[in-house]
Amino acid sequence: MKFAHKIAHLIFPRESNNQKAKLLHPSGISVLAILLIVFQLVLTYIPRIGPSILGYAANISPSEVIRLTNEKRSQAGLLPLTENPTLSAAAQAKGADMLNRDYWAHIAPDGTQPWKFFIDFGYKYRYAGENLARDFSNPSSAVDAWMASPTHKENLLSPKYKEIGIAVIEGDLAGVDTTIIVQFFGSKFVDTTPSVPLAKVQPAVVAEKQSVSPTPAFVPVTEAVLTVLPSQTPAPAVKSDIFISPFSTTRSLSLFVVGILLAVLVIDGVLISRRRIVRIGGRTFAHVAFLGMIIAIALILEAGQII
Amino acid sequence: MKNTVKTFFRHLPHFLTLFGILFAGLLGFFVFSYDRAFQVIIAVSVAVSYVFWGIMHHIIHKDFHISIVVEYLLVASLGLVVVFSLIFRT
Repeated sequence: MKFAHKIAHLIFPRESNNQKAKLLHPSGISVLAILLIVFQLVLTYIPRIGPSILGYAANISPSEVIRLTNEKRSQAGLLPLTENPTLSAAAQAKGADMLNRDYWAHIAPDGTQPWKFFIDFGYKYRYAGENLARDFSNPSSAVDAWMASPTHKENLLSPKYKEIGIAVIEGDLAGVDTTIIVQFFGSKFVDTTPSVPLAKVQPAVVAEKQSVSPTPAFVPVTEAVLTVLPSQTPAPAVKSDIFISPFSTTRSLSLFVVGILLAVLVIDGVLISRRRIVRIGGRTFAHVAFLGMIIAIALILEAGQII
Repeated sequence: MKNTVKTFFRHLPHFLTLFGILFAGLLGFFVFSYDRAFQVIIAVSVAVSYVFWGIMHHIIHKDFHISIVVEYLLVASLGLVVVFSLIFRT
């Protein structure tokens, strides 16, 4: 019985809560906000002290990413890109480097540019570009996200590029299992004149054009290179895994909390109106509209980042 | 319920302004789905506009009270916590 009273105290306007559902009091809303913040802190710090969290492991095929990219190009009236194994190996190295050194950026923390990977694998480029994506559950949503971003779209639909290399790498980034897609674009430097080749680079984010050594060190692409790179990711110490997706869990909890608040607002608004109670407070319609927008945003947002 | 509907229509011009602000924010989120930083700016702008709308609305209707500002601020903060936690988890 006591429990029922407590629930009624939280949800319905009555004498015990000064004719306003306790959840709508400043203390009630604050508690909900604090709970959400604490949940985020737990989700962020658990992987650092204990078990890692399975985040966004996905089954993405590189050939499907290439097919979708070429589909977008053909829709734009452009020639399709040819898959180049050297570019794919370079992309694989870039992805492994991000996992090994735990960064998510075009430029490594020590300033290493993405073009270094092109050169390391002996790809002498005239033009080069890089698109990165992570945490997408399927290839089409990643390609769609690139197409929605003007700078990434420019890379995808650039007539300057002739070849493409894709790497899809799964590993641990900041304690969360992640699937990274590295998309390298290039066109080879075929000028026969002995002058110093100038690589014009058009990455999504790195806008600087840079010169490249005319004789880059050639690293032959072999099976050994390809297989060794991913395994450079240090094997985690004996750690148990928690099988949840941080994004999906956050979304579900957020929808639950905001949904409850919305329901209480509506119940409170209807009862106050019926009982003709006059009280000082914000407009229920305004709060419902605002929280409705928050729910719509939560539904619009999709897991996955591009840079 | 009758009172609620009456209140809604009495404040219709104000509510239409608020719906416009919220719709613009929602549209911004959809269009700039690729730009996290801009989404953060949109979220903060909409939350600030919402609080400002609340203050102006209650001043115009002569029922302004500091506890109302606190209420709008808390609802806006809760909304921002939800949106930020989702944006930074994407």
